Amino acid sequence: MKIAVCIKQVPDSETRIKMSGPTTELDQTGFTRVLNPYDAYAVEEAVKIKEAGGDVEIVAVTIGPETVKETLKKDCLAVGCDRALLIDDPALQGADEAAIATVLAAVLQKDSFDLILCGIKSIDDDSGQVGIMVAEKLGLPHVSTITHLELGDGTLTAHREIEGGKEIVTASLPALLTCQKGLNEPRLPSLPNIMKANMKPIETMTCADLGLEVPAAKTKIKMYHPPAARGACKLVENDDPAAAARELARLLNEEAKVI
Amino acid sequence: MPNIAVFIEQRDGKFKKVAWQMLSEAKRITAASGGEVWALCLGADASGEAARYGADKVFNAGGESFATYNSELWSTATAQFCSTHKPEVLLVGSTAMGKDLGPKVAAKLDCACISDAVGLTWADGWTVRRPIYAGKCSIEVEPLTDMAVVGIRPNAFVLEENAAAAAAEAFSPDLSGVDPKAQVQSIEAVGAGDVELTEAEIVVSGGRGIKGPESYELIEKLAAALGAAAGASRAIVDAGWVDYSHQVGQTGKTVGPNLYIACGISGAIQHLAGMSSSKCIVAINKDANAPIFKAADYGIVGDLFQIVPPLTEEVIKLRG
Ligand SMILES: Cc1cc2nc3c(=O)[nH]c(=O)nc-3n(C[C@H](O)[C@H](O)[C@H](O)COP(=O)(O)OP(=O)(O)OC[C@H]3O[C@@H](n4cnc5c(N)ncnc54)[C@H](O)[C@@H]3O)c2cc1C
Ligand SMILES: Nc1ncnc2c1ncn2[C@@H]1O[C@H](COP(=O)(O)O)[C@@H](O)[C@H]1O
Repeated sequence: MKIAVCIKQVPDSETRIKMSGPTTELDQTGFTRVLNPYDAYAVEEAVKIKEAGGDVEIVAVTIGPETVKETLKKDCLAVGCDRALLIDDPALQGADEAAIATVLAAVLQKDSFDLILCGIKSIDDDSGQVGIMVAEKLGLPHVSTITHLELGDGTLTAHREIEGGKEIVTASLPALLTCQKGLNEPRLPSLPNIMKANMKPIETMTCADLGLEVPAAKTKIKMYHPPAARGACKLVENDDPAAAARELARLLNEEAKVI
Repeated sequence: MPNIAVFIEQRDGKFKKVAWQMLSEAKRITAASGGEVWALCLGADASGEAARYGADKVFNAGGESFATYNSELWSTATAQFCSTHKPEVLLVGSTAMGKDLGPKVAAKLDCACISDAVGLTWADGWTVRRPIYAGKCSIEVEPLTDMAVVGIRPNAFVLEENAAAAAAEAFSPDLSGVDPKAQVQSIEAVGAGDVELTEAEIVVSGGRGIKGPESYELIEKLAAALGAAAGASRAIVDAGWVDYSHQVGQTGKTVGPNLYIACGISGAIQHLAGMSSSKCIVAINKDANAPIFKAADYGIVGDLFQIVPPLTEEVIKLRG
């Protein structure tokens, strides 16, 4: 069985965005970059499948700059992926979701994967599009937002999170899944495994190497805005907590008019 | 003159409120710019409601294929609709179904796809406003293709009744070539009867300040009194006190209700990321220096165990 895991390197969730007003470019200096947290569930699930036995190869696939190699080593190869493919092409810097999906589909098409795992969304652009688009481009079924997975013989059963419950979905392999929190508990790499990961191959390529033209963008970011400023917090002060609670309810009702 | 198609989401004949919010906004846009609002409903007849919120035409498709949601069948039908009628934009709710459907339809049509939008303006082309980095900043995006699929966050647009005499039109997609390889076998309710977080107009959340799983009940009671959804910080989800489906934040749900009440939550950047676009934020925390107060409009510095119960009582009184 061959599994591909699509991973993205993203700014850490602690990242603060520095901007004093609207701007056409985001200042990304000083950002710490890590594995997209949702992709960690995808990596972990692949490794669990491998550990369950059988002949399984896991390939981590990513589009990004040279610096993604650190994430590939530490968070993918050191926790159980066998090798990695890095599409490092300056022309893809700032590429939109559709372009990323087109390139990923082209890479994945070169091999025959039984299972492709993605995260539900990346925590920087917050799109949640790439996985589903890749599946469509490859003509594969997908199940999005999964919190549970069982593999059968050429089939899978997954739980998909929906409002107020879950769908139990079956699909035939090959298939693409997008992984949600709850699916598993991603492990941390051990120091010896990080050392060993240095021996695992990372193959780097460009669009030209893939025989692919750089896909044209379908969307364009015109402007970045800081979040709307909020006024100062109005503190309700009263030594009697119950009286303070009543005053708060009154303010929410009469002043803010939200209850 | 933009024609706007709106995907009317339903499960078991129950329509999603976000569909009416999208119709309301679409109507506001076409009232100013011309063009029509088209409601597309798979699996139910939405004619009555869709007309009430401003649809000019309603396209209902029925039949076995639309009895339960299926990504392959529903996206094929929706893409066929768009290819035939060529709306300038297709709006889908940013819900479990819409987030699954939208990108698939866009990939089929090879057109722009913009997720989780909170603003949409037309001036000889679309400008879509959406938060990124979980709300730490927002962007204005422009689609570069003739058609665009745009996901709309629940509660981003205000409901407005705008009765139109919508014409019901036939729509019978050709699904003969589709043999779905993924299929929903069943649906299990989890915490049935709860108000869904992402759609709620009021959210009451609890954090580590509630001390233990048994006191989450305090949060749920206040939520029930307000007709609100109950949320949580990651700290109490990871501690196993409540299910992950309650988590608000960068790696949880993003909410933008009219009122968000944070009880015993410190206000870590990852939590703020999921709720800072709420219209009114209330913080109840015993630490006056907790960062949550910087994000809040109203606050009480104090012990939530002494504040939440009387607040709940007062709310019950007010709401009678
Ligand atoms: C990659 C990553 C992703 C993350 N994603 C999320 C996310 O999606 N959502 C999220 O919430 N967090 C997320 N976090 C975690 C986040 O950094 C914080 O750790 C978390 O939000 C803290 O939860 P808390 O406020 O409940 O707990 P604490 O920070 O421990 O705060 C508890 C608060 O309760 C107050 N308190 C205590 N007792 C009382 C009392 N009796 N009455 C009133 N107040 C009281 C205290 O003063 C304190 O401010 C993420 C972290 C990382 C690294
Ligand atoms: N540059 C990339 N390289 C590899 N995989 C990616 C890339 N961008 C997105 N993905 C995958 O697609 C998922 C959804 O991303 P997005 O649509 O950007 O929110 C991520 O969780 C990854 O699994």
